[in-house]
Amino acid sequence: MTGQERRNLRTGILFISPWIVGFLAFCAYPLVSSIYFSLCDYSVLSPAAFVGTQNYRDLATDEVFWTALYNTFFFAAFAIPLGLFVSLSLAILLNFEVRCRGIFRTIFFLPSLVPMVCLAVLWQWLLNGELGLVNATINPVLDVFNHALGTHWQAPNWLLEARYAKWGIIFTVLWGTGNAVVIFLAGLQDVPAHLYESADIDGASFWQKTLHITLPILSPVIYFNMIMGVIGSFQVFAVPYVMTGGGDGPGRSLLFLATYLYQNAFDYWNMGYACAIGVILFAIILFLTLIATKVSARHVYYAGK
Amino acid sequence: MPARRFVAACCLALAGLGILSGADDGRVVIRYWDKWTGFEADAMRSVVEDFNSSQTRIFVEYSSVSQIDRRLMLATAGGLPPDVAGIWVINLPVYAENNALTPLDSFARKAGISEKDYIPAFWGMCRYRGHLWALPSTPSSTALIYNKKMFREVGLDPEKPPRTIAELEAFNEKLTRRSASGRLETIGHMPEEPGWWNGLWGYWFGGSMVDGEATITANSPENLAAYRWVQSYPERFGAKNLLSLRDGFGNFASPQNAFFTGRVAMVLQGVWIYNFIKNYAPPDFEWGVAPFPSNDPGHLRDVTIVDSDLLVIPAGAKHPKEAFEFMRYVNSQAPMEKLCLGQRKFSPLSECGPDFFKAHPNPYIRTFLELAKSPNARTIPMVPTWSEYSADMKNAVTRIWNGEATAEEALADVQKRQQKTILRRMERWHRSEPALTKLWGEQ
Amino acid sequence: MAHHHQNRFVRALTYSALVLASIAFLVPFAWMLSTSLKPLNETMSLPPRWIPSEIRWENYPDAIREMGCFWRYAGNTLLICLLSVAGTVTSSALAAYGFSRIEWRGRDTVFMVLLATMMIPFPVVMVPIYGLFKSIGWIGTFKPLWAPAFFAGAFNVFLLRQFFLSLPKDISEAARIDGCSELGIFFRVILPLCKPALLVVALFQFLYTWNDFLGPLIYLTEQKDFTLALGLQSFQSQQGGTAWHHLMAASTLVVLPVIVLFFFTQKSFIQGIATSGAKN
Repeated sequence: MTGQERRNLRTGILFISPWIVGFLAFCAYPLVSSIYFSLCDYSVLSPAAFVGTQNYRDLATDEVFWTALYNTFFFAAFAIPLGLFVSLSLAILLNFEVRCRGIFRTIFFLPSLVPMVCLAVLWQWLLNGELGLVNATINPVLDVFNHALGTHWQAPNWLLEARYAKWGIIFTVLWGTGNAVVIFLAGLQDVPAHLYESADIDGASFWQKTLHITLPILSPVIYFNMIMGVIGSFQVFAVPYVMTGGGDGPGRSLLFLATYLYQNAFDYWNMGYACAIGVILFAIILFLTLIATKVSARHVYYAGK
Repeated sequence: MPARRFVAACCLALAGLGILSGADDGRVVIRYWDKWTGFEADAMRSVVEDFNSSQTRIFVEYSSVSQIDRRLMLATAGGLPPDVAGIWVINLPVYAENNALTPLDSFARKAGISEKDYIPAFWGMCRYRGHLWALPSTPSSTALIYNKKMFREVGLDPEKPPRTIAELEAFNEKLTRRSASGRLETIGHMPEEPGWWNGLWGYWFGGSMVDGEATITANSPENLAAYRWVQSYPERFGAKNLLSLRDGFGNFASPQNAFFTGRVAMVLQGVWIYNFIKNYAPPDFEWGVAPFPSNDPGHLRDVTIVDSDLLVIPAGAKHPKEAFEFMRYVNSQAPMEKLCLGQRKFSPLSECGPDFFKAHPNPYIRTFLELAKSPNARTIPMVPTWSEYSADMKNAVTRIWNGEATAEEALADVQKRQQKTILRRMERWHRSEPALTKLWGEQ
Repeated sequence: MAHHHQNRFVRALTYSALVLASIAFLVPFAWMLSTSLKPLNETMSLPPRWIPSEIRWENYPDAIREMGCFWRYAGNTLLICLLSVAGTVTSSALAAYGFSRIEWRGRDTVFMVLLATMMIPFPVVMVPIYGLFKSIGWIGTFKPLWAPAFFAGAFNVFLLRQFFLSLPKDISEAARIDGCSELGIFFRVILPLCKPALLVVALFQFLYTWNDFLGPLIYLTEQKDFTLALGLQSFQSQQGGTAWHHLMAASTLVVLPVIVLFFFTQKSFIQGIATSGAKN
C-alpha cells in the first residue's frame, strides 16, 4: 500500500470506529453466541447442551417451519414492490408545489406514529368481514359486477380466512409506509432544480421527467428503501403478532418466520431451536440482499462515485 | 473549623429529613411481581398492605408487571429475580424443570402447610416431579353459562339446563335461528365461542391429553369422539355460515359480547364471567350456571377445568424465607378470603367461612366452588410442552372448524408432532435430571 | 397555452389524489381521538360510532391519573430520546462519512458486513445482549436504552451513506487540494449540505426511541423508571377488559409531541430545496 492509501485506511477506520465497537458488542458477539446456541439445546436457564445439527434436522422435518417460510416469502413478494410503489408515488405527489403541503405530509406520516396497539385494534375492525369499512367499500363495487355478470362474489372475512389473512396484513403494513415516504422526500430534495428546468424548456412531459431525471437521481434512495423493504418484510412480526393477539392466524396463515422464532424463544423456551430459525432467516436475508445489490448495481447512479 | 461545621450542619439537616435515619426501619424489603391490573390488583394490594402493617420484619413491594412470564424469565436469567412472583399453571412444569424456581417443600413442612389445607385440585397443580413449587393465589373453575331468557323464548325450561352432550345439541337446534337467506343469526352453542379451552374438549368425553410422563394421547378414542362432535358443527351449520356469524361478534369485553347480546345462548366460561356480566351485560340479563355436560353423565359428572394463579419464589431470590412468610400469610384463611372476594373468585382452601358467601356478589359462586371440588375437576396437562401442544390443538380445531380436515386427520397430525416434541423435551430433562434431583433433594 | 391547461389538470388530479389518500391515512388517528372522548361502553361497538354520545374530556386527566407517574414517565422518555438522538446523529454521520467520502482498502466489503448486521433478527440476539448488559451492571438503568445509539446503528449509517454518496466527488477533492483535513471537510463541506438527511435521522431516532417498548420492557426494572410506551401497557388488563377510552386518551397524549415535532421539522425539507438549488 502506498503512503496515501495507508493514510486513507487509517482515517477511514477512525471515522467508522464507533460503528466497529458497536458491531463487536451488539452484533458479532451476540451473533456468534446465537450460532453456537443454534447447535445446542438451550432453554436459557439451563446450561446449553451441544447437540450438533439436531435443531436444523428437526426444522427440516417441521411442517410448521415450512408453513412459516412460505408465509414469509409470500408476504415479502407482494409487500416489497407494493410498498416501494406506494411510498414513491406519495413522495412524488407530496413534492409538487401544492398548498398545505406540510399538512399533507404530516397526515401521511401519522399512521406510523400511532402506537402499535391502536393500529392493530383499528385494522381488526376495518378488516372485519361483516361490519368493517374495507368490505363496506368493496362489496357494493362487487355487487355491481354481480348484477352485470350474474356472479356471486363477496368480499372475504379477511382475518378469519386462511387464504386472505396475509392480504389483510399487507394492507396494514402499507398504511405505515410513512418512513419510506419521508426518506424519498428527503431524496427528492437533492434533485437539482435546474435539471427539471432544462427538461421543461425541451418540452418534456411529466412522465418523461420522472423516468429520466427523478428516478435515476433517486436510485440510491430507491435502492436503500428496497433493501430496507427486504430486511423488514422478512422480519415481519409486530403487526401480525399484535393483530392476532400473539397468535398465528387462521390455519397458521399469519405465522411468519420471526413469529415462529419468537414463539420458540419466549413461549416454548426453545432458545436453541429459535436461534437455528434465526440463523436461517439471517442467511435468507443476506442472500437476497446480495442478489438485489448485484442486480441493481447497474441501475443505481451515485453522483459521488 | 468551618468545613467540619458545615458537614455537621448537613448531617443534622439530612437527619431531620429522615434520610439518614433509614426509610424502612430495618425491615427486609421483598419484591413481589404479579400480572394483575385494575380491581384485581387492588384486591391483592389491600392484602399486601394488611401484611405490611401486621408485622415489622418484612415489607412487601408489590408491582403490576405486564408479560410477567417473559419478564420473570429474563430477570431470573439475569440473576435479578423478584422474591415472589405470580405465574400461571402452564408455566409451572417448564420453570420447575429448568431450575427457575425454589422448591417449597421444607418451607411448607415447617409452616405446617399440607395437602389437607386445600381443595385437592389446587394442591395438585402446585406439585411437579415430587416437589412443591407454588402456593395458589386465586383459583377458577369453568361451567356452562346459559341465557335463561333465550331458553324461555323457545320453550325450554330455564331451570333445566342440558345434562348430556346429546341434550346440549337438542337445545342447540331449538335455540338456533337462521335468516331467510340461510345465514345464521343466533346459535345455541358453538365450541368456538369463546373457544378458550378448545384443546381440552376431550375432558367431557372421558379423554386425556397425556398418559403418564411422555405419552401423547391426542387421538385416543375419547378425544376423537370429542373432536368428531366439534366437526359436526361445520357439517350441520356450514363452515362459511359459522365464519360469518363469528366475524359479526363484538369484542369480548364490551356490551357487544356475543353472549350478552343474545347471539349465543350457551357458553363454556369461567368464574370471572360475573365481572363481565356486571360491567357489560344489559341490566335485565338473566343467566344460569351448571356443570358443562359430558357425553356420559352416568359415569362422568361435574367435569370442569380448574386453574389458578400461583405464587412462586424464583430461583436466586434474595430473601426466600421472608418471601415464603408472605405467601403463607396470603394462604391463611382470612387474607385468602379477602383476596378472592376482592377478585370475585372462590377460595382454594379446604375451609371457607360462611361470611365469604354472604358477602360475595356472584350469585353462583357456590356452584363454581362445588365444581372445583368435584373428583372430575381437571387441570391442564402438567407437561412442559403444553404450550406447543395447545397451539397445535388450536390449529387442529381451526382446520376442523373450517372444514379443511377431519377430526382423525387433524388429531393424527397433532399426535405425531407432539410426540416428537415431548420426546425431545424428555431428552433435555434427562440431561439435567441427576444434578437437579440432587439439588432439590437437599432442600 | 396547452402547457397551462395540462398544468391545471395535473394540479387538480394531484389535489384529489392527495385528499383521497389523506382521508385514508387519517382514519386511524381520527378513530383514536374519537375513542379517547367516549365513555367506556361505547369504545368497542360494532359498527363503530364516530361521534361519542357524550364528549368526555375528563378521560384525559383520568388516564393521566390512572397511569400513575405520567409526567415522570414523560420526563424519562424525553431524556432517553434526547440522548439517543445526540448519539445517533454524531456517530452515524461520522461512520457514514468514513464509508462514503474516503477511499480506503476493503471499504465496500466492510460496508456489506454492515448491511448484513441489519438482517440479524432481534429476538435472537436479545438474550446475549441482555447478558452483556447484566455483566456490566447496566440492567435496571437507562444506559442500555441510549448508550448503543453512540455506536452508529447500521440503519442510520446506511441512510446517511447513500446521501453522502449522492454529493459530487469534486467538492471533496477541491477541499482536499485546499489543504483541508478530512474532519474539516466533514464538518465544513459535507454536513451542511446534508441537513435534510441529518434531520431525517434525528427524527426517526427520536420517534423510534419515543415509541420503543421492547427495550424498556426488558431493561427497566423499577416502575419509577418506566417510559411512556411502557406506561401505556398499564391500561391493558388480563381478564378485566382494557380501558380503551383511557388507553386512547393516553396514546393521543403520547403521540401528540411527535406529531408536532414532525410537522415543524418537515418544513426544513422545503429549505433543503433552496440549498440543493444553490448547489450547482
